[in-house]
Amino acid sequence: MNSLLNINDLHKIYDSGTHALRGINLDVKEGEFLILLGLSGSGKSTLLRCINRLIEPTSGEIIFQKRNIVKTSGKALRTIRRQIGMIFQQFNLIKNLSALTNVLTGKLGYVNLVHSLGMTKIKEDVITAEKNLDRVGLLEFKSQKTRNLSGGQQQRVAIARALMQNPRLILADEPVASLDPATADSVMKYLGELNKNDNITVICSLHFLSLARKYGTRVVALKDGQIVFDGSPREIDERKFKDIYGEEAEEVEIR
Amino acid sequence: MKKDEINIKSALQGLVIDLLFWSYLWGCLYYLAHNWLGLILNYKYLIMLAMFSSGLFYLTGDSIGRKYFFPSHLTSRKWFKTLWGWLIIFSLLITFVVGWDIVEINPYKFFTKFKNAGGITSGIFDPSIIGYELQTESLEKLAEQNLPEEIIEELKKISGRKYTTRKVFSRELEKRLDPAAYDKYKQPILKSAIKNTEMLNKALTTLAETIFLALLATVLAIPLAFILSFFAARNLMPKTFLGNTIYVLIRTVATIFRSIEAIVWAIIFSVWVGIGPFAGMLALMIHSVAALTKLYSEQIENIDSGPVEAVRATGASTLQIWIFAVIPQIISPYLAFTIYRWDINVRMATIVGFVGGGGIGLLLLQQQQLLRWHNVGLIIWLIAAVVWSMDMISAKVRAKLSEM
Repeated sequence: MNSLLNINDLHKIYDSGTHALRGINLDVKEGEFLILLGLSGSGKSTLLRCINRLIEPTSGEIIFQKRNIVKTSGKALRTIRRQIGMIFQQFNLIKNLSALTNVLTGKLGYVNLVHSLGMTKIKEDVITAEKNLDRVGLLEFKSQKTRNLSGGQQQRVAIARALMQNPRLILADEPVASLDPATADSVMKYLGELNKNDNITVICSLHFLSLARKYGTRVVALKDGQIVFDGSPREIDERKFKDIYGEEAEEVEIR
Repeated sequence: MKKDEINIKSALQGLVIDLLFWSYLWGCLYYLAHNWLGLILNYKYLIMLAMFSSGLFYLTGDSIGRKYFFPSHLTSRKWFKTLWGWLIIFSLLITFVVGWDIVEINPYKFFTKFKNAGGITSGIFDPSIIGYELQTESLEKLAEQNLPEEIIEELKKISGRKYTTRKVFSRELEKRLDPAAYDKYKQPILKSAIKNTEMLNKALTTLAETIFLALLATVLAIPLAFILSFFAARNLMPKTFLGNTIYVLIRTVATIFRSIEAIVWAIIFSVWVGIGPFAGMLALMIHSVAALTKLYSEQIENIDSGPVEAVRATGASTLQIWIFAVIPQIISPYLAFTIYRWDINVRMATIVGFVGGGGIGLLLLQQQQLLRWHNVGLIIWLIAAVVWSMDMISAKVRAKLSEM
């Protein structure tokens, strides 16, 4: 399998002095569904945000399709960003806009300002957006303001927005942490589907080992900004789990 | 208890505080002694007195300055068992007494001089909606009705004079005619008088001027404040030297302009462009720009950063991020603030009129100086009605907006 993303010796030191990432080396293959495990504060979010430069890495390199993301800026950076969709724990939709408009914002990286202003009126854009909303089963909610949607529905709109980008890679930062177990599984199912059917690589941080085993093809665990485990989900036994989450931790099952 | 660092700077600051405190105390005492007892003292001695007592107290445990900078000097004694506690109480008391004297507070006047307000009170209860006036044709009409010659002669004297209300007119008649004649001919005279709504028309015209003045001041302030607010929002400005400079500059200028009251701006502009509504509009506009820039930018600083992050992650440009992630979040609070500002501006427009800003404020000033209390009454009612309805409408609209 081809390598899609290659991270070499990545460091991030925040202004506050926190050393959040301490030399991450990671090679993500095309088509992988990579699960990031680790305690809160272990550096998962920082790592994900460094990949699309929402956070500026302190040092190291991130190679995506033969280009070093760390070194790009301006238009070139935006061209890379538009190929990388992102899903957030808090969904991060614009709450007083309709679901359809939110999905359309996924197209912003591809169009100029004038085009983007008229986007809700441009037929082919609207058709693509509707198609993507339909894929997550929310076409009937297209003109609803997203604040009126449930958590699970909002996260599915966010997935449709990411799909609008036509991404090669989706970064998901604890996408199910604010959802109930049943909804969490349905959201993960959509991500799994995209991974299998559209061959979109997914890097997803999670807290539930059961979901990691069900959807992940590979698990990487972080602890204090370093990778402490990298392997198949089946390899994580109780010993490894305690290594990652500490001796006190008990595995919680969610089905 | 934390051990204090002994340093010269704190010690000096403590001494300065003591000196200021004692200067103030002696100053207040001298003010009272001078005003009530006629005592005259050279300021030299006052300063020496203050220096002497502050120096003395600085050395004791009752120094206020030392307590402020060296908290460990605070003893566990209750304040009312210490000299410095009583000193502070004494200084507060003397401040109140001196203040009472300076402001010339006089409750006696408040209760006994109420009759001075008779003119304005009767004006409020009898606003001049319809004015009365006798003209040649009314006198002719009265002559036809066979009114006695001497009454017509008497009425001729007041022909052409304008009376603001029916009551004022009848009072004038009562004064000029003997009681029997007044009772007998009051009705036909009143009927023959020419009635006008001149004052009402004028008040309504200037009121419209005021409302439009406030509206234009607000409307013209919106685009300026809107653009400025983006540059005055910490979370949108890049953390570079340039970004910081722009932010600080806009914030500072806005704060200065806002701290200058609209009434002061009106004085400046009434000299600049001449007395009239244009000056008033400029005054309100400049004040509104400053106020709205602050409110708007604070709103931007309070937005949810999540959507901004999400839209940035799609590869959107900065301008696209502003349009799609920032503006939708601020649009309804912006509208609410703007309507509220209009509401404030309508109220301010009246005041601004007083100092040359045109509109109903100017009319009010003129009528007040002419002692036409019934016209003043009418104007007050009209202003109250407009302010009240603006207040209600803006509250309703803002409540609706907050649901959005």
